[in-house]
Amino acid sequence: MHWKRSTRWMAILLPVLFVAPTVAVTTSAQESENLYTSRLDLRMGRSVFRAQCTTCHGLNAGGGNEGVGPDLTTGRFRRADSDLGLYRIIRDGVPGTSMTGVGTDASEQSVWQLVTYLRSLNDFSSAADLPGSAEAGQRIFVGKGDCAQCHMVNGQGGRLGPNLSLLGEQRDPETIQAALLDPNADVDPRWWTMRATGPNGQSFEGVRMNEDTFTFRIMDAEENLRAFSKYGDWSYERVQTSTMPSYADNLTVDEREDLVAYLYSLRSKP
Amino acid sequence: MTSSRLATIFTVLSIAHGVNAQPASHEGEAVFSPVTWNRLVNAADEPHNWLMYNGTLDSQRFSRLDQINIDTVGDLELKWAHHIPQLDRAETTPLVVDGIMFITESPSNVVAVDAVTGRPFWRYNHPLPDDLRVCCGRNNRGVAILGETLYMSTLDAHLVAIDGRSGSLVWNREVADHRSGYSKTAAPLIVKDRVVTGIAGGEYGIRGFLDAYDADTGEREWRTHTIPGPDHPDNRTWAGDSWRTGGSPTWLTGSYDPELNLVYWGTGNPGPDWNGDVRMGDNLYADSVLALDGDTGAMSWYFQFTPHDEHDWDAIQVPVLADIELDGEARKAMLWANRNGFYYTLDRETGEFLLGKPFAKQTWAEGLDSNGRPIRRPDTSPSREGTLVAPIAGGGTNWWSPAYSPRTGLLYVNSFDGEAVFFSREQDYNEGSTFTGGGTETPLPIDHYQSAIRAIEPTTGDIQWEFPITARTRAGVLATAGDLVFSASVEGYFYALDATTGEPLWHIALGGPVHAQPMSYAVNGQQFVTMTIGNTVYTFGLN
Repeated sequence: MHWKRSTRWMAILLPVLFVAPTVAVTTSAQESENLYTSRLDLRMGRSVFRAQCTTCHGLNAGGGNEGVGPDLTTGRFRRADSDLGLYRIIRDGVPGTSMTGVGTDASEQSVWQLVTYLRSLNDFSSAADLPGSAEAGQRIFVGKGDCAQCHMVNGQGGRLGPNLSLLGEQRDPETIQAALLDPNADVDPRWWTMRATGPNGQSFEGVRMNEDTFTFRIMDAEENLRAFSKYGDWSYERVQTSTMPSYADNLTVDEREDLVAYLYSLRSKP
Repeated sequence: MTSSRLATIFTVLSIAHGVNAQPASHEGEAVFSPVTWNRLVNAADEPHNWLMYNGTLDSQRFSRLDQINIDTVGDLELKWAHHIPQLDRAETTPLVVDGIMFITESPSNVVAVDAVTGRPFWRYNHPLPDDLRVCCGRNNRGVAILGETLYMSTLDAHLVAIDGRSGSLVWNREVADHRSGYSKTAAPLIVKDRVVTGIAGGEYGIRGFLDAYDADTGEREWRTHTIPGPDHPDNRTWAGDSWRTGGSPTWLTGSYDPELNLVYWGTGNPGPDWNGDVRMGDNLYADSVLALDGDTGAMSWYFQFTPHDEHDWDAIQVPVLADIELDGEARKAMLWANRNGFYYTLDRETGEFLLGKPFAKQTWAEGLDSNGRPIRRPDTSPSREGTLVAPIAGGGTNWWSPAYSPRTGLLYVNSFDGEAVFFSREQDYNEGSTFTGGGTETPLPIDHYQSAIRAIEPTTGDIQWEFPITARTRAGVLATAGDLVFSASVEGYFYALDATTGEPLWHIALGGPVHAQPMSYAVNGQQFVTMTIGNTVYTFGLN
């Protein structure tokens, strides 16, 4: 079928904007439900992804080098919040952007397999059989671990470290455990430290809120926001280590397992 | 000497020697005169205009205007802004002809505006099919002009001629079938009465070429394939039939030397990009610069920067032509900072390699031999498990225009010190589908890497100075007779550097990603500098 452009726009935008009611009213059960979710389908989807999508989205869907395609591993898609929405975008593309669809020549099966692959990139078990106690871990978080000093969970806590309210949707237990033992192994540049020294010897230090070609901005230990120019009277230094201490010695093995269980339980939907 | 020639010279002199900045106005004047081939050859003599993609046929991207200079640049202020309605990468370099600016927009449109106010005269929107094959954004980099006609590439692999006064379509030619993976994004180059134009599609298993069309009729006059056919001995640099799907596109504007009657054009990656096992051999003439006769397209010489490329290091950079003195000898040179991380100075009469050395982080070669051929390090090919190599697929630089200042003798290049893990895999060719044979990933967040504007001394290849900018910036560079270097950075700064020292002299945050390059022009004695950032074309002048 060759649609006129305006008709095609409507066909793409409507499902994206009104996913739930549109699915129920205008699509067949076969179209709206992914029937291709086996491990074989996942492998096939990965194969199709690597043939069709890596140029823009990167080999493992983490985003393309050229900055063309966004990171698809976060489990959150700006233009689709259902499998059908993903299906439509993969098949038809996004008009007015670089995202070209695989087209109607591609089989329905292969498009659904792509959906299965993308979903698998963020499919952390919600009921992991972890050895620790989440309740005990929460007490460590606000108590002995002193984590809430820097980390916020659901609006409570500090601002000097990442907000952990959705950590269970973003990291697996092994990664959380590793970060507790060696916080410097993989420090997000957002949490590097910047030190600024003024012409009269005054100095400030804080977490790196943002840095660009000419300026940088920090949050200091008192959670004040400060901005600096790189080409004014101030000198600056970038420290690429974490401000978080290692919990290898500060917590027992059991306490760390409790803390991991708590952190992994932090999700938008329990 | 004709009166128009005298008028032109007077205009140049009045601009070049410090006319006080007055509010530009051409209210009520008849503007826009036909652009003859003679005007294009002598484009440097009318610096108030920007008559082709790279400013002049030698592609130095050097403006002879000096009203905005190291002493006055602090007084720059925004004069106007033009918003591009289609959201995508805005990669345009506008042309300016006698007070009219021609801006190309995503996906394949062009708008003519008053260069003083940014307000439109007309717009041409090119109709496109729904089944485009584009690897890297729905973009367009600019138009060419001859007489009163504009020439533009379109994403459906057509070349169109548009009336410069009204925006009406004059003719429309299919250059290649877009359904096979061909597309067109680059500004054409006028050579005499021909429109020379390249093709994109290196990620779709195309066979690249460079074409020339009659500017009046749109009839094709010559086509030179960038992968020779089986009747040519260089075809044997491709295993089996791999030449048929070997890529080698020509997706950026080249240069022209009127004295030598040679067209210079870079070629892109061999395909599939990351699996070289299926196309053993040097893969001529991928990743090369070609020197072609301007009348026939016959090849005079070629120089291949990256034989048997397996990292997607297209030689899609602008060939910068400059006459330099090397070891006491005057040389007609070509200056080339390549995506593979090496800088080259070539003799543009013969293609002889004169010198070369790295200008950006690279880990794949020990260096270049006496002929400029890279001395590869072992174990740097893409692999199933992944191989860490610098530069990234996007290169130590890319298509972003460099600039050369004859006043400083320096080539200014936007460079990137990065690394990537390269993967290869087997992939069958299916016409019209991507054909890359692998992929890449950057192992660390981009904050761990660095972009920089680097000033390269072409007689040594040494880096004279560098100005660090946020990674990864995709901006081109403009050099001016005001001894300034203008460029932009990924977070949306537009800035000016001292061309001699690299010291930052002026900047403004415009808040959008950048994929374009600056240009400069003047109207009635006031110099402007224009840069596209985000989806907006900004024009600045002195207050």
